[in-house]
Amino acid sequence: MAYLDTYTTPLTAAAAAHLLRRATFGPTNQEVADFTGKTASQAVDILINNSSYRATPPPPVEMDTTRSDAGQPFLDKPFSGSRSFTYFNYVKYWWIGLMAEQNGKPSVLEKLTAFWQNHFVVTYTPVEDYRYLDRYLRLLRTNALGNFKDLAIGISKDPGMLIFQNGNENTKALPNENYARELQELFTVGQRDFAGNYNYTEQDVKTAARVLTGWQATNRYVEGSTTFDSVFNSDRHDTSNKVFSEKYNNTTITGRTGTGAGDAELVDLITMLIGHPESPKYICRKLYRWYVNPNVTQEIEDQVIVPLAAFFASPGNNFAIAPVLKKLLTSNIFFDNRNIGAIVKSPAEFMIGAIRLFNQPVPDITTEYGPFQKMTSYLSNSMNLLQLNLLNQPSVFGSLPYYQTGYSKNWINETTIGLRSSRIDVLVNPILEIKPGYILGVDILARLRSIQPNFSDVAGTPAITCEQVLAEFSKNLFAIELSQQQKDFLIDSIMMMKSSPRTTWIREWDAYRTTPSDASKQNNILWRCRALLKYMLRMAEYQIF
Amino acid sequence: MKRRDFISAASSLMVPLVLDGFGVKSMAKGSALVRSLRQTAALNNDRVLVIIYLGGGNDGLNTVIPLEYYSTYSQLRSNIAIPESSVLRLAGNAGTGFHPVMTGMRSLYDEGKLAIINSVSYPNPDQSHFRSTDIWMTGVDASQYSTSGWAGRYLGDRYPGYPDGYPNEQMEDPLALQIGQITTPALLGPDQSLGVTIQDPNTFYQLIGEASTETEGPLPCCDAGELVSYIRQKQVLAVGYASEIKAAADAGRNLAVYPDASQKNELADQLKIVARLIHGGLKSKIYYVELGGFDTHSGQVGTTSTEGIHAQLLKKLSDAIYSFQNDLKLQGTEDKVLGMTFSDFGRRANSNASKGTDHGVGAPMFVFGTGIKRQLVGTNPDLVNGLLPPTPAPGVTSRDIKMQIDFRRVYSDVLNDWFGTAGSKTDQILFRNFKTTSLFSDTVQSIASGAWANPEIWSNGRVPAIRDFVRINSGHVVDVGQNVTARDVKVEVGGELKFLGDYTVNIVK
Repeated sequence: MAYLDTYTTPLTAAAAAHLLRRATFGPTNQEVADFTGKTASQAVDILINNSSYRATPPPPVEMDTTRSDAGQPFLDKPFSGSRSFTYFNYVKYWWIGLMAEQNGKPSVLEKLTAFWQNHFVVTYTPVEDYRYLDRYLRLLRTNALGNFKDLAIGISKDPGMLIFQNGNENTKALPNENYARELQELFTVGQRDFAGNYNYTEQDVKTAARVLTGWQATNRYVEGSTTFDSVFNSDRHDTSNKVFSEKYNNTTITGRTGTGAGDAELVDLITMLIGHPESPKYICRKLYRWYVNPNVTQEIEDQVIVPLAAFFASPGNNFAIAPVLKKLLTSNIFFDNRNIGAIVKSPAEFMIGAIRLFNQPVPDITTEYGPFQKMTSYLSNSMNLLQLNLLNQPSVFGSLPYYQTGYSKNWINETTIGLRSSRIDVLVNPILEIKPGYILGVDILARLRSIQPNFSDVAGTPAITCEQVLAEFSKNLFAIELSQQQKDFLIDSIMMMKSSPRTTWIREWDAYRTTPSDASKQNNILWRCRALLKYMLRMAEYQIF
Repeated sequence: MKRRDFISAASSLMVPLVLDGFGVKSMAKGSALVRSLRQTAALNNDRVLVIIYLGGGNDGLNTVIPLEYYSTYSQLRSNIAIPESSVLRLAGNAGTGFHPVMTGMRSLYDEGKLAIINSVSYPNPDQSHFRSTDIWMTGVDASQYSTSGWAGRYLGDRYPGYPDGYPNEQMEDPLALQIGQITTPALLGPDQSLGVTIQDPNTFYQLIGEASTETEGPLPCCDAGELVSYIRQKQVLAVGYASEIKAAADAGRNLAVYPDASQKNELADQLKIVARLIHGGLKSKIYYVELGGFDTHSGQVGTTSTEGIHAQLLKKLSDAIYSFQNDLKLQGTEDKVLGMTFSDFGRRANSNASKGTDHGVGAPMFVFGTGIKRQLVGTNPDLVNGLLPPTPAPGVTSRDIKMQIDFRRVYSDVLNDWFGTAGSKTDQILFRNFKTTSLFSDTVQSIASGAWANPEIWSNGRVPAIRDFVRINSGHVVDVGQNVTARDVKVEVGGELKFLGDYTVNIVK
């Protein structure tokens, strides 16, 4: 089996769920059913094509229902410093809403955008201008499936990045090396190759900084300003030739003058950087760690990363992103058993994945902005607590579990284990009212009624069993199948609480069927099923995907 | 592999936890027995190390200001230089001063409880935040990689087999405790972190107390199996330690005044928890706390050079350490606690145009506590003749502070002299031998041959002072070209004190 060859077996439900868990923030049961039986290639085409469905979603709005301008878009209004942090949060909620919504059109877009947001990192601190973060996010979203070269050029003069990595202060008189370093170390070539050799020199950092002199961002945090942009100021630009080391084949970037110098030299620089043989490997390795398995062995390097990188950089592909993503997500190695459950869920996959799997609808941002805010802020706050700060990561490296030794294991420590439990509990014990008639959480009774044939015919139709209840709640919940021993434990020790035989369930369920409006009969069912579901969502098996 | 053994051991510990699936409050253990065992101090050494990480790369030259080279200092960084008159003076050390906000640390210095280790770095320094921090935390050469941290290797050696069978009667508390968010690599052992990460003892207990725990069950194949096993271990350990940490937090008291909430001093908040847990009898060997924000590429000073981001950070650092040390003193735990700071790297000697500083090389570490025997290791960075590159090419403005002390020499002293680790073990933990800095010793040793007046031949990186015991080690020839004074001079067999003229060695007892 060549690892990168296309996986041709029609997708089983388990394989479809694996694909959807990795390519999106988690599937609904309906999506798994829809994708079962398709080939990997058909499935990934749908996931990529569906991206266009939400290419231009409606803008974020004021979500504070007590304000007179509630429901109005704010990005087109003059800048307001006092509202900046709130508006930034609305932008973030807008994005989380897109990740969580269930519109029957699952797509790769938001997960891939999140990849780029953790790659070309810009954070609200210290940029502090919500418009900058909005523009930055849209740049990533618009180009997520486009061309890596365009993305690298665009991000290099993105106003947010110019502030975040001090390009704004980078002048010929006193170059600021911050962006030049991260552009090479983190965004394109990577600091070292797989064997540990340096990919560029300290002098290359200094030289690249000179190429990038002169760019500035305008009107950041200027009260009342109605426009902002990145501009090139040729007076601040170093017009001399820039000579790079042998790591870049001693490339010279010709110094330019005039207003077009910044763009011309930037294109030369990015062309040189992505032309470095390590750049495509670095990007493909990072994609592999994001989508397949953080653990890149020598075998994976040789069999997957190197050929995928060769394809990424090939003249025919020329750094187009979508074909590389498709190749990876349809490969044999992606579906290989060893990669199932090989990643600890990030807080996004953990929280949003549950929202989607349990069909918790996201209110419409334009018409139901108050409820929308209630739901997405809960998700946002939960993810922050669990150490995922979208659009506000701790450093330019992004979230630590994507780069630190141990990778995704770093999401789990003694505290986050407890926090994961408490944040997911609201889905089992519903307390968070999103709007009248909609309390966030699994409607256990409705869910079980839906699998009980002839619900009211107690005498003539047998009750659903403990095993069926467990199967219903387990459906697509775990990336790996539970053992029979674990299933028995869940039924006897948790659901039946070590005190009652399984037949007790039948009696209790039938009693509920007989008088479904009787609260005490409902409570018997809820008590057992909540214990079960709560336990399942705390299992180590639920933490991986 | 031990992992399966662990799961079976863990599941026997878990029996009381799954009575009804939930509502677990603590591990079952013979409490009275454990308490009495605790008194016998089966682990006799109760010394503690507190590691403070300053995230981002602290600007050393605006922290410890070399007054000795003040005019060069102010030329190198005219837009951020601290005015000479504002620099805090140190007792008995006219050539060096502190940033004006560091009044607390100045007091500790003056009381003899704080040491400055000058120009700390490592050969072939790396200027990537990630890699350089990794090097500091894993304790390796710039060309070497390790998946375990230096402190984790120490704990792994001292508590073999962890987490298999832990918590146990000999060590019922976490080996190390990190107050923070995401586990530091410094505490990574061979397989996993040897530290327990909590944000606050009470919320930790509430969280874990409410948490259910894991079913037994076979592990799936491959990486998924490893992850499930890892998470189950964490679940068991969290429950196991939650009640111990809470008990210590309940028993402990903070006796000193800490910065109030309005100061938003997150480091002080963390150290306050540490002091309380130490006072409460938690036996953890290492505590790890952190303060971020030191990556000051721009705007590190405000409208005046004594205010701004860097001043705020240093004030937090100084206030926090001062309150903490004072707390330990009032608690009577001062003699068993040692503190140590480190950062990603130093910053450039010269500032940039954005009132900031770019990534550099050498920077001071601070070590504090009553256990130190000297307050200065290494000399002020020589800003006149000692910067890198020594003679910059035309147009090159970047100047770096060269290394005097390899950080692993400090680690080695902490392991040998503070924790009492056997030298051969320490060398194993740090992958080879590192020469002492004499931080915990009255005796200054020669570490190479050369002139007496050359600081580089002495273990503490300084020319021996009048109060030092001096030892010339075997194989070293020290040339005396001036009259010298010390408390004692001992020449080992094979060592040599060579007089280049008619000079005297004065011994002042």
